Amino acid sequence: MKPASLLRWYPRAWRERYGEELLALIQDTLDGGRPTWRLRLSVAWGGAHERAHQVGQAVRAGVKARTGPTRWGTALVAGLIFADLPLNLAQSPPATREWQATTALDAVIAAVALTGALILAGGLAALPALVRFVRAGGWPKIRRPVAWAAGATAVAGGGLAGVAVFTGSHSFAQLNVSWAILAATFATGFAMTAAIGLSAIAAAATARHLTLTPRVRSAQLVLVAVTPPLVTVILVTLNVWWSVTQGPAWLVLALVMLGLASVNAWQRIPRAVRRGRRLRAAAGGATIVNPSAAREHGRHRA
Amino acid sequence: MAPSGLRRPNDPPLLILVSLAEGPKHGHALAKDIEEFAGVKLGPGALYGAITRLVERGLIEPLGSDDRRRPYRITPPGTAALAEALTDMRRVTNAGLARLRLDPA
Repeated sequence: MKPASLLRWYPRAWRERYGEELLALIQDTLDGGRPTWRLRLSVAWGGAHERAHQVGQAVRAGVKARTGPTRWGTALVAGLIFADLPLNLAQSPPATREWQATTALDAVIAAVALTGALILAGGLAALPALVRFVRAGGWPKIRRPVAWAAGATAVAGGGLAGVAVFTGSHSFAQLNVSWAILAATFATGFAMTAAIGLSAIAAAATARHLTLTPRVRSAQLVLVAVTPPLVTVILVTLNVWWSVTQGPAWLVLALVMLGLASVNAWQRIPRAVRRGRRLRAAAGGATIVNPSAAREHGRHRA
Repeated sequence: MAPSGLRRPNDPPLLILVSLAEGPKHGHALAKDIEEFAGVKLGPGALYGAITRLVERGLIEPLGSDDRRRPYRITPPGTAALAEALTDMRRVTNAGLARLRLDPA
């Protein structure tokens, strides 16, 4: 059996990339001799493993494609909630529950402010790396997603301001029967959805190119772990507020959300803190800890 | 915890990273070096399977070469991952040696 025929165990794409190298290694190992059973088994096992890996990758890609709509669904819920806020604020709570409504609204604002401050802090920490990337001529690589996100945010902000002005100049009774405000709220909700989704895409596209220090990378690991529980807190406080202003049914939804929010989400925080500490300790003097950025860096050098 | 494939001392990806920490090498030189320092004989299938995964994860990268024997080198993230894995192992080793009262320290 010729050594070249052993490569048939591997997928075609793999053979095109690594085939010649593996063949050279096999020939060096044999040194003119015939392939042993041990060598044949090693290559056959490697080829079968590569094929299984390829199937696994295809399955993972399929799962990822299915989770895409879920993320947009989350953005849609968030967008509609944001767009509906001016209308909610225009609604006066029952006089007997006024202090509960004020307290619940304060809790919503505090949760939103805390989440926003953390996300802003994460962005500011990555700012020096972003400036370096842009100064090095990287702007064209992220211009399109950033421009789309900025455009969508401007449209959504304008829509939200318009809805807020309209609700401020009308009574709740008038708003409650207005088709115009309903249409404007939905339109603004969809614009907010687009802004949230496109901003997330732009942030992910930018992060892929940045060369982060171990300290910033470990801070971002913690931020990624902290954000989902904080979003749950926002939703729960929001439902508590709605339960005071609109009816107790929302309280049931708040309890369901608390139940659905996995304990795991909270456990991820100390895990992320430990992982960040290890990353900083292990990286030592190395400054590049983003594999995507490192690959990009390698391509530039080549 | 160290990334997958870098948890046990005889994991092929770990052995490859240790070998490349010394400098770039091609497949045959890697296999010889690993056999020499670790006493582990990696078959061509196992070696190239591990090389493929390490390249995918950006922990090693190929160097340009006209020869069929393409050399690879460790990347900065690869150095960080190797340091993390070895630090984890040292912690377990030190604990074991201390409990056996074999630790010279």
